[in-house]
Amino acid sequence: MMSVASNTASTPYSYNSYAKYVYGYIASLIAFILTVIVFYYVLTGRGERIDFGWFLMETSPYMWASIGVGLAVSLSVVGAALGIYTTGVSIIGGGVKAPRIKTKNLISVIFCEAVAIYGLIIAIVLTGQIVIYTPELADSDYTVKSRNWFSGYAMFGAGIITGVVNLVCGICVGQVGSGAALSDAADPTLFVKVLIIEIFGSAIGLFGLIVSVLVISKAKMGDKA
Amino acid sequence: MATEFCPVYSPFFGVMGCVSSIVFTCLGAGYGTAKSGVGITAMGVMRPDLIIRGLFPVVLAGIVGIYGLVVSVVISGGLTQNLSLFSSFVQLGSGLSVGLAGLAAGFAIGIVGDAGVRGFAQQPKLFVGMMLILIFAEVLAIYGLIVALILNTRAGSGTCE
Repeated sequence: MMSVASNTASTPYSYNSYAKYVYGYIASLIAFILTVIVFYYVLTGRGERIDFGWFLMETSPYMWASIGVGLAVSLSVVGAALGIYTTGVSIIGGGVKAPRIKTKNLISVIFCEAVAIYGLIIAIVLTGQIVIYTPELADSDYTVKSRNWFSGYAMFGAGIITGVVNLVCGICVGQVGSGAALSDAADPTLFVKVLIIEIFGSAIGLFGLIVSVLVISKAKMGDKA
Repeated sequence: MATEFCPVYSPFFGVMGCVSSIVFTCLGAGYGTAKSGVGITAMGVMRPDLIIRGLFPVVLAGIVGIYGLVVSVVISGGLTQNLSLFSSFVQLGSGLSVGLAGLAAGFAIGIVGDAGVRGFAQQPKLFVGMMLILIFAEVLAIYGLIVALILNTRAGSGTCE
């Protein structure tokens, strides 16, 4: 009994173990506040004021398009960075005992970098599609307004597709590249076979690129009906 | 002209359907590739001759990504500016169905593939068992694909004038 009491006194809890309680508390607080607000509106007969459609209609298509551009490049770069640090750490760690792996395994780093380049290309293509339209024409002519609003949503969608898919692809290629570096350090003949797995991972980024190019081709802002 | 059922914001939900189908399936495919890839590189050090047969879970994870790609391409073919709320919500539903099903299938393929190749390296007779379990996991994504494609054939039937 005495040893158990002294054990719990002598080992303090680390800060890490409190994280899930803090996140849980914050998430439930936010959910509670949102529930109270929604119930207040609904139960006092003003439920129609909570209007997601009003939000979509009143926000400018430039906001959607620009957020799409920003997310396309930034999330792709985050994915590439996550992949590069995962792979790089393993290359350096494995290279301590097997320095021959350092040049061949840069291919994994280049695969991760390619993910960032995909995001950059899509962001540049998207910025070329952002065209000014005259607001009076949009208010008077419904086809102009509907085309510009649709283009804004499509560019946002294309940006999210590129960004999140490249984020996932970067993480995946990084994990596999890290394994490839360590197995190359153990046995040099393995590298080419493990590269096949990295190519499968890279194909995921290409899927996102294909779909976002398809969606961008539908988007056309401007004054023409 | 905008009506109550063809508002100006309705393509947003169709685009979100296209987004969710490719994003979630690629999340699942990425997880499957990474997790089983780490297992393959670990077992390849001991048994390099078994690596090529061990690529089976990676291939299946890539196929899950292709399901999402197929549904995204089909949905994006139906995106126009004068979209009825019916069509756009059906597109959202079909995107979500293949997306989240592919996410789940990718996770299952990754975890089973990782454990499977590590066991397969020690006992090569386990390959058939691993293959069967992975195929059952892949079939989950096919269920999502079937529902998505059935839903999407209905998406064209709502019209705006």
